[in-house]
This record gives sequence, C-alpha cells and structure tokens, in this order.
Amino acid sequence: MFTHKFKGLMMTSTFDRVATIIAETCDIPRDTITPESHAIDDLGIDSLDFLDIAFAIDKAFGIKLPLEKWTQEVNDGKATTEQYFVLSNLSARIDELVAAKGA
Amino acid sequence: MNLEYFHLIDRIVQLDLAERKITVEANVPQHSTIFEGHFPGYPLMPGVLLIETMAQTSGWLQIALMKFERMPFLAAVKEAKMRSFITPGEALTVEAGIEHEGSGFTVTNAKILSGGKLACNATLTFRHVPFPNTELRGHMEVMAERIGFPQQARADV
Repeated sequence: MFTHKFKGLMMTSTFDRVATIIAETCDIPRDTITPESHAIDDLGIDSLDFLDIAFAIDKAFGIKLPLEKWTQEVNDGKATTEQYFVLSNLSARIDELVAAKGA
Repeated sequence: MNLEYFHLIDRIVQLDLAERKITVEANVPQHSTIFEGHFPGYPLMPGVLLIETMAQTSGWLQIALMKFERMPFLAAVKEAKMRSFITPGEALTVEAGIEHEGSGFTVTNAKILSGGKLACNATLTFRHVPFPNTELRGHMEVMAERIGFPQQARADV
C-alpha cells in the first residue's frame, strides 16, 4: 500500500509539478496551464514573476535553472523562447538538469 | 546613516562567506530632513528606508559572494514586517543571509534589530548583473572602503 502510494508520488510528472508551481506562484488557474502553454506568450508571465517560478523550481527539484545562459542564447539568436518556455520543453530541460545532477 | 544620500549602512561588523551571512551597524541620525515630514512632532524612520537598509545589507553580502564583479538590484520585497517604531538616534544591527542563489538572481532573508530586539524583517529578491559602468563600480568601491568591506572579499586584490 505504502509502496503504491510512494510510487504514485514519484510518478507525478515534471510538467504537473511545474504547472502547480506556476498556478500557485502567479495565481493562474491550474486548468488553463497545459504542456503546450508558452509561459510568456500564453500565460503572460513576466521576467520578475519568472524569477519566483525559477526560485520554486530550483528548490523543488534541487537544481539551478540556467536562466542567464538561456536568455543569452535567445538574445544571440541561437535558441528560441519556445525551446525553454513552452512548458513541455521546460519540463524536459528540468528532467535533463535533474539527471545531470544525479550523474 | 546619511538618509539624504541613501547611505544606510555605517559599518560591516561581520561578513561570513562560508555561512553566507553578514552583520552591519546602522545608526539612525538625530536630525534629518526626512524627519521634518515623517512626521512633524513625531519623527520615525520610514518603513521604505528600513527595507532599503535591509536591501543594502543584503547587497553587500551578495557583492562579496560575487567577488565584486556584479551589482545586485532590488527586484521584489516579500513578507516585510515593521514590528516596532524606529526613532532618531537608535543604533541598529542589520543581519542578512542567503535564502537562494539562482541564475542571475538571489533571494535573501534580512532583519533589523534594535536593542537586541527584532524590529523589522523581510525576504528580498535581487537581480544581479555585471557592473553596468565604471562610475557605479567606482562609487561602490568608495562605499566599500567607507563601511569596512573586507579587502579579501575583493576579486582584484
């Protein structure tokens, strides 16, 4: 029973955790946040609010989102905002950072 | 403190880079034009200046941790509480510690004590960037000298 419950917790997807953080941090209805949502373009999250989200994600996942590097890449035209701020992509980046931390 | 010039920190008492904590002294002046308006016949340190005092204390800690290469700017104030009145002539102790170091931002917890008693506290968020120009960096170096910023916390010495 306990194992099953624990497993259930572990299986909560990265996207679900990120969506919950965004909903709570920015007071956005949870059901409007989908994996396809763009944090900036669709959800209207500005850079200051995104700092709060980054803070919560860093703490929740034990990582450090490389916001400065991402911003630089976007400014230099080497990446698009979609690669980092569409939530399914953001979740994938988080999974990579968590995996890299454990490696 | 020299309120008119936003000099809110008088002296760094302790800077612990390993523990990521700082303690400073800040003495509220007996006289300031600020007190003429806030308030006539009942002078009090404005809450915004107490928040600024906690921000400057947090700022010096960050400058030390970033080896005097980047400048923090206050971006968000949370859970700021003014627990008691601060009046002219009070000697304050201000403490700050790092809650989180993110990429390009830092969250600190800071508090002000008067007579050993907690008077204010806040959680502050800063964005930090490389010093935008030599004038600002030069000014901060002068301020660092004035408040006893430890030389060993400087990158270029």
